[in-house]
Amino acid sequence: MKKHFVALCLLFAAFFAVLVGKQSQVQAKTYTIGTDVTFPPFVYANSHNKYVGIDMELIRTIAKTEGFKIKIKPVGFNAAVQGVSSGQFDGIISGMTITKEREKTFQFSTPYYESGIVMAVAPKSNIKSLKDLKGKRVAVKTGTQGATYANSLKKKYGFKTVTFDDSDNMYNDVKTGNSAACFDDSAVLNYGVRTGLGLKIVTKPADIGKYGFAVKRGHNQKLMKMFNAGLAKLKKNGKYEQIIKKYTGQSATSAKKKANEKKDDASNTFAGLIKENYQAILTGLLETIKLTVVSIICATIFGILVGLLGVIPNKFSQGLSTTIIYIFRGLPLLVLALFIYNGVPSLTGSKIPAFVAGIITLTLNEGAYTAAFVKGGIDAVDSGQMEAARSLGLSFGKAMRKVVLPQGIKIMIPSFINQFIITLKDTSILSIIGILELTQTGKIIIARNLQGFRVWTIIAVIYLVIITILTLLSKWIERRIND
Amino acid sequence: MTNLKVDVTNLKKNFGDNHVLKGVNFKVADNEVVVLIGPSGSGKSTLLRCLNRLESPTSGKIIIDGRDISDPKTDIDLARQNIGMVFQHFNLFNNLTVGENIELAPVELGKLSKEEAAQQGKKLLKAVGLEDKFSAMPQSLSGGQKQRVAIARALAMKPDIMLFDEPTSALDPEMVGDVLEVMKKLAKEGMTMVVVTHEMGFAKEVADRVVFMADGKVVEEGQPEQVFDHPQNVRTKAFLDKVINV
Ligand SMILES: Nc1ncnc2c1ncn2[C@@H]1O[C@H](COP(=O)(O)OP(=O)(O)OP(=O)(O)O)[C@@H](O)[C@H]1O
Ligand SMILES: [Mg+2]
Repeated sequence: MKKHFVALCLLFAAFFAVLVGKQSQVQAKTYTIGTDVTFPPFVYANSHNKYVGIDMELIRTIAKTEGFKIKIKPVGFNAAVQGVSSGQFDGIISGMTITKEREKTFQFSTPYYESGIVMAVAPKSNIKSLKDLKGKRVAVKTGTQGATYANSLKKKYGFKTVTFDDSDNMYNDVKTGNSAACFDDSAVLNYGVRTGLGLKIVTKPADIGKYGFAVKRGHNQKLMKMFNAGLAKLKKNGKYEQIIKKYTGQSATSAKKKANEKKDDASNTFAGLIKENYQAILTGLLETIKLTVVSIICATIFGILVGLLGVIPNKFSQGLSTTIIYIFRGLPLLVLALFIYNGVPSLTGSKIPAFVAGIITLTLNEGAYTAAFVKGGIDAVDSGQMEAARSLGLSFGKAMRKVVLPQGIKIMIPSFINQFIITLKDTSILSIIGILELTQTGKIIIARNLQGFRVWTIIAVIYLVIITILTLLSKWIERRIND
Repeated sequence: MTNLKVDVTNLKKNFGDNHVLKGVNFKVADNEVVVLIGPSGSGKSTLLRCLNRLESPTSGKIIIDGRDISDPKTDIDLARQNIGMVFQHFNLFNNLTVGENIELAPVELGKLSKEEAAQQGKKLLKAVGLEDKFSAMPQSLSGGQKQRVAIARALAMKPDIMLFDEPTSALDPEMVGDVLEVMKKLAKEGMTMVVVTHEMGFAKEVADRVVFMADGKVVEEGQPEQVFDHPQNVRTKAFLDKVINV
């Protein structure tokens, strides 16, 4: 029993080591760049789910002229900022304003764009200036300059702010009337308004800021040098102007608006939406399934090991088991994911791929729950069963395997099925560290087409379908075990 | 004394502040049947469970078959193979059939092959009068049947000594006889037995010696007639009065 236990532990550790090792090797040669793909015209996903926009075009062109490779990580603004400061990513380009505060941690390139903060309200709103906001609610997006600006004014003008993780949710809150206004980058809002966002801008750009590409202070100096050199070249040869025009010029936005209007017929139907985003959704779904299957396997092994540790008659192992369960059941999944993905690398200095960080997160969290019910299931077997087996001369391990576990497992099966379903649902939380699973895919699609209700309906239905399949599968296995 | 099966000297057992055994001396000879009686909470079960180290003693010495059970270095699993135990609540393995209950230990411990164990199982079931229950699940048996299977299961390891902790107290009265019958047969075949029971009739008929425990100590012991008919200690008298009046 003990030998098997040790062997299993080793196998488990080796599995992780291989996962981590393999992935970091692949990434060693290219620069990983974090960004937020819900930020048109700077970064967004086009209808082929390719990341485009001013920032994307700039960095790609510069990479080509300067001869380096990049890998775009569409993780959202917050995660991108944290990812660069923790060393997960090499740089960030995401319409990021250069500020004193940020310069403490980051080193910025020569500015590549100038923009200010404007206020937008619903089309029929009679709010015209900051003064009208007294007692009202204002939507902002976390970590953006617009949020900083709004927060600096809220005392003076007497409004409250509510924070969203991406632009779409922020705009929607204003459109539905929950919030009276939102603050965002003027270029972004201008682009949105002209392409049919359904909000109107009521203030002049304020708090003018400059956008820069950033790396962690003192790191990736070569990358920074190449970016600056490349940007200078593009400005000289006119390519820079072309790119800006391409995304903000009258022709670009009106074309996009027309496209949006034309597409509306298609986008207004579920069938049209599915047809249009079929590829992206399928990729997201596949990632969700991969995450679910791998985490269920890892969490189940981990949970059973920790659960068994908790029933071995040894104070140390019981204490260890209780502590593991206490910590990882107690930590919110979101905190655990961010801690493993951003916190641990800044401590150890080595990167963890998001997928692996996601698996580790789910393994620890779901595994802790599994351990708790494995322990509970074994404890629920009458202690007389163990005593009778031991009285015959069977060792603890044999008694456990032949007598107690088979009875305990029957008690645990419903909990296992339940935990599998929870694991599947919890994969959606991993969108926070930028894993392109189903939920994150939904967010990105909505950032482009603003069809929140329909897209979330489609995503919800897909989740229900796979949960149903998973449940049926589990029930089938349950029946086979019970027979 | 070479024919001493059990030799317990100055055994003490505490559960925290609760001093349950306060220096017990207890001997059992080869082929002897000892019945252990005493009021509830006097420590009978605890003594019995110390004999195969289901409880580890606080201090004192326990020798069974020459093996020092109280020594933590003793391979207790090996020692237990020779010490059968029958519990008040049977504790049949609920996930296994009657036959598998009996076969499990000999097969797992490498004593018998699967076929040999099955053969032995059928023989043992026949001896306890349940040959038709080989493939039944424990849940389908009556209490008396369960306890007879439990005895067969303990015997499957061919122990030198059998410990019984109130084997009939959880049974309906009409089932008690069947179980006692099996135990009597076992005694006649020369099995060394330590039996905790309130069945005074059984004690009188089968026991070589009756040991009366009270308050964590052996208070009185002797041949059944002597203890039952002429108890020397007041507590023995008080206890017997109560039991017989019930
Ligand atoms: N595992 C345990 N933990 C704590 N106290 C215990 C434990 N087992 C027994 N005791 C205590 O030890 C004392 C003696 O118990 P024991 O079961 O040996 O008595 P007994 O003579 O068998 O009584 P009965 O006739 O009721 O079975 C009781 O006070 C009981 O509460
Ligand atoms: Mg008792």
